[in-house]
Amino acid sequence: MAFTGNFMCTSFKVELLKGQHDFTNGQDAFKIALYDNNASFTAATTDYTATDEVAASGSYSAGGGTLTNVTPTSSSTTAFTDFDDITFTSATITARGALIYNTQTGGGSGTTDTVVVLDFGSDKSSTSGDFQIVFPTADASNAIIRIA
Amino acid sequence: MFEFKVEVDKTNPIVGVKTTENRGFTPEELAEQCVAKVISVSDSTHPGIRDQARAFSKHIEKVVAYYMRQAIRSDRTTVYNTLKDAGHPDLAELIRRL
Repeated sequence: MAFTGNFMCTSFKVELLKGQHDFTNGQDAFKIALYDNNASFTAATTDYTATDEVAASGSYSAGGGTLTNVTPTSSSTTAFTDFDDITFTSATITARGALIYNTQTGGGSGTTDTVVVLDFGSDKSSTSGDFQIVFPTADASNAIIRIA
Repeated sequence: MFEFKVEVDKTNPIVGVKTTENRGFTPEELAEQCVAKVISVSDSTHPGIRDQARAFSKHIEKVVAYYMRQAIRSDRTTVYNTLKDAGHPDLAELIRRL
């Protein structure tokens, strides 16, 4: 199995309509977990899994890193939100993709509800160094999560 | 009927990934990323304005990199003193010489 592209998870769309995700800075805590290319995620992926997750190394630990939310805003008729870039330091990692998931869906705790599947396009490796994920420009055309 | 779309580009990578081997990012690499977050110049901007904006970006990059290097030096001073005060003068000296 392998990564086959980026997907906005269908379960996330449903939860969005139920008002279960709060991207406001300081509200729900979203995490990003890294995976090797044995992972197989699609729009049907609903939860974080430890299967095929990269091993803990440096500042990367099981479950991934906690993202910093950028409070949603809008431009013209498009609403969007973003996350700050995240860097795992002193890490030896080879990852092909990632899952972003909410650990506080619906105001709960310890939840694992997926938001988006990210395919890096090829294996990305760091060796005893920094592994940084750079989110796209936070605007109406590029932000990672947009409602048009 | 109202329709709103929450979709992602399925084919092209959405996020960028930057990695290093046996080192961290340099101030210059981080300054470039920093400025890219702060200033964006469209290719369709009037050439006169675009060139000026890009030159300004390069200048800001150098300023940011300079202060990042200063911050590193300053932090090493703090680490040096913390280690020295904790009774590790050899380790402190190692940090100072980095």
